[in-house]
Amino acid sequence: MTDVLQPTDVALVKEETRRSRFGWWWLALVAGVILLQFLVTSTAVPPLWDTVISGPIDQFATWARENRQIHPIFTSFFIPFSAAVDWGLTTIESFLKWLPWFVLPLVVFLVIFRTGNWKMATVAALAMVYPGLVGLWDTTMETLSLMAIAVLIALAIGIPLGVLSARRPSVERLIRPVLDAMQTIPAPVYFIPVVLFFGIRRVPATIATVIYSLPPAVRLTTLGIQGVPHQSVEASDMFGSTPRQTLFKVQLPMAMPTIMTGINQTIMMALGIVVLATLLGAGGLGQEVLEALSQRRTGRGLAAGLAIVAVAMVLDRVGRSLAFADRTRPASRRYVITSLLLVAGAIVVGRAMGWATFPEVWEVSVFDPVDTAVRWGRDNLSFITRPVNDFIVAGLLIPVRDFLTLTVAWPVLMLVTGFICWRLKGVGLAIFSVFALLLVGLIGMWALSLETLTQVLAAVVISVAIAIPVGIWAGRNRRVDAVLAPILDALQTIPSFVFIIPVILLFTVGQVPGIIAAVLYAIVPGIRITALGIRQVPEESIEASQTFGATPRQTMFGVRIPLAAPTIIAAVNQVIMMVLAMVIIAGLVGGGALGFETVRAVTRGETGLGFEVGIAIVVMAIILDRLTNAWAVRLQPPTPSH
Amino acid sequence: MTGDVCLSVEHVWKVFGTRPDKAIDMVGRGATREEVHEATGCTVGVRDVSFDVGRGETFVVMGLSGSGKSTLIRCVSRLNEVTSGRVVLDGQDLTAMSDDQLRQVRRHKMSMVFQHFGLFPHRRVIDNAAYGLEIQGVDKDERYERATRVLEVVGLKGWEQSYPQQLSGGMQQRVGLARALTVDPEILFFDEPFSALDPLIRRDMQDELIRLQETLQRTIVFITHDFAEAIKLGDRIAIMKDGAFDQVGTATELITEPATDYVQEFTKEIPKAKVLTTAAVLKPGQGAPNGRTVRLDDTIEGLLPALLDDDSEIWVEDSDGRTVGVVDRQAVAKALEPDR
Repeated sequence: MTDVLQPTDVALVKEETRRSRFGWWWLALVAGVILLQFLVTSTAVPPLWDTVISGPIDQFATWARENRQIHPIFTSFFIPFSAAVDWGLTTIESFLKWLPWFVLPLVVFLVIFRTGNWKMATVAALAMVYPGLVGLWDTTMETLSLMAIAVLIALAIGIPLGVLSARRPSVERLIRPVLDAMQTIPAPVYFIPVVLFFGIRRVPATIATVIYSLPPAVRLTTLGIQGVPHQSVEASDMFGSTPRQTLFKVQLPMAMPTIMTGINQTIMMALGIVVLATLLGAGGLGQEVLEALSQRRTGRGLAAGLAIVAVAMVLDRVGRSLAFADRTRPASRRYVITSLLLVAGAIVVGRAMGWATFPEVWEVSVFDPVDTAVRWGRDNLSFITRPVNDFIVAGLLIPVRDFLTLTVAWPVLMLVTGFICWRLKGVGLAIFSVFALLLVGLIGMWALSLETLTQVLAAVVISVAIAIPVGIWAGRNRRVDAVLAPILDALQTIPSFVFIIPVILLFTVGQVPGIIAAVLYAIVPGIRITALGIRQVPEESIEASQTFGATPRQTMFGVRIPLAAPTIIAAVNQVIMMVLAMVIIAGLVGGGALGFETVRAVTRGETGLGFEVGIAIVVMAIILDRLTNAWAVRLQPPTPSH
Repeated sequence: MTGDVCLSVEHVWKVFGTRPDKAIDMVGRGATREEVHEATGCTVGVRDVSFDVGRGETFVVMGLSGSGKSTLIRCVSRLNEVTSGRVVLDGQDLTAMSDDQLRQVRRHKMSMVFQHFGLFPHRRVIDNAAYGLEIQGVDKDERYERATRVLEVVGLKGWEQSYPQQLSGGMQQRVGLARALTVDPEILFFDEPFSALDPLIRRDMQDELIRLQETLQRTIVFITHDFAEAIKLGDRIAIMKDGAFDQVGTATELITEPATDYVQEFTKEIPKAKVLTTAAVLKPGQGAPNGRTVRLDDTIEGLLPALLDDDSEIWVEDSDGRTVGVVDRQAVAKALEPDR
């Protein structure tokens, strides 16, 4: 018996000491906060290094602008590279525009129909026709070609890198933190250095898109290959396969579904960024939206936004039907040949009849009625929008911002952040966050960062307040889930930028539309992941609880939620990261703070400022991400120590 | 082991961890696995195991989970590197081979059947079976022809174009078996191949293997945690515990002369009458034959009715029909007595 009791005793004792120490540290924290608050009167870090970073970078940017045509680093690398990418872009774009317009909907139909789902195939094909109906066919082709070339480059780099990192742990150790960082950083931050090296317009937009959409290609390739059952690889080895034979005959084919999922994600991320990259003057659908919004041509903006949604939907469906094709029923050779013949026939006939561009007579003008409707909505729905606006501004944004920027002394904020980091994760993160925050302050980004943080906190609070209850509800109730799932599915494919459109129509510009757009964007994964967590709680645990006579409420709070807690916190992590990305993007529509500075830096070429803003955003992203991740890990029940 | 030795395992050790030398040293001085783990952080998987397997022999290693049996077969097939010791196949030291040499041996001399089958779900049954030949670079027609033939032998005719996941568990392992046999290996390793199957299917597969082995006469090293399976399949059986062999012997030897209490624990569960042959209860014959005869390799179960009918002794003949001794009720009763 003593044998059995001993380890438990030890654990209890450890738990006890841990708790008492925790108490002491809390006291120390409170004392430190009071002391610092009295000693330091300033609420912002003095911007002593105001030009330490931006100065040299601006100098470099000026130098780069002046030497772009002369210096070998540009003439021998960046310019030829840009030229190659631009050539690829032009080729794809002119090919897409050369194709008779109905070929793309036909291909979409055939690819999806292969899985036997004719309804989906028809809907997707019609969605592919939609941009033509609203007069955006050529613009859509521009967006598609930009995306296509970015995806091709991303896959050409990402898949081999993923293979390499699956096979060499050292490579994985090296690139994993880089990928982590790449996925944490909001997209517009990439624009700044890219602009510096590639100038503006299409090529930098492509490069930014490649960078942003690379991580899923690498990650899921690695994941897929590592997920191949060990026995299959060993079986292959046992037959004397060379590593290359094992890779191509066993690992890659078996990892293919996962890799295809990665490709799908790469495509979706690329689309999201391509429409944003309009900031760089890349044209396409994003440009259309932005111009329409700034000129108050609401109908046009909405039509373009819907075109983005349609393209996203089509790409997602096509990607999925490729990824989840049933391997035991490969497409019959006859289907493939018939399809190819149909497509070839369509091209020949279309070209012969001169039907390349979308027939203008089919274009429908929906803009005026939409404009009228939106004006009506803005005027007559203000009884809803006004209170919402006021609540968010006066109830959340102003008090929090004032507390952070006017009341709290800056060392206090650092101390508290450091303390939380240390308790949740460890000394490493604490040291990093204190120094990183100090840097943000020294370069003069303190106030702007706190303002962005305020917006993020407000949006996160609202999102979590909606997403978690709804997620729990959907996780428990099959019928709710059945209703929500397709809606969430659809929402998840929509690029972030599009969420801004309807909100801005109702709320005009300012901080609130950005926050509401962020909420709309972030609750989707919030709900999904929460529901997933609730659903993943083992049935046995639930039944065990019920056999003890627990009420549904007791089971919920005693078993379901604690067991789902790590997943729910992972949902919060997702919410935070998506909110942050959206709050930055909202800078496009008057969200102010770091987002606005990003836009200014990109559009006006203020590179130094751009880097400073970038540092502030990255620091915020990394701290928030690591903290919530560490929290989720903490909530994980201990696993057997083997 | 006399006669033609196919595989020879010499003093193989496998220690997982960073200080294997210290661990081996400690074991040599009598430390237990736990003590070694405590002191060095190393886990001793296989502890100084040696054995020979003759050509055409089925050698079974039986042990419970954690006994090191899987580690042992992985060392022998070099899926894991041995910490020390040698594995010699047909006079060639596997443990000293370069990756290239090993690859050649694997292509032409050995095959393995895995516990969870390790099939390739993206390949049809025929492409699974032909995998080894494909790796060797055998052209398509020939490899399909050979794979088809082997699939027929293991009872999968008509399933060539299916995918493995469309087959039942037992049939999937037949694919695994076919894949191993198609390359015509000299030695076959079986790593608990039937333990994932349900009992009836498992029995079918055991019978199938016995039937195949009658014609193929391959050298087999077979790992199992099931003592009954070991008894049924093994020419010789090694009982493994804590990384070492407790006893090596034929089924009869293990049952009639268990070397340790541990071995005896397993033999208790075995229906001895079905396993022991007349040879195990043979006594020197006295007097004249009375017309009642049995063969030396008949099981005891077969003579029970005759012995119960009539308590006179039964004469035993060897396979050439020569009388070699007698059995009587007393000897049989003694052999079948529980908890000897």
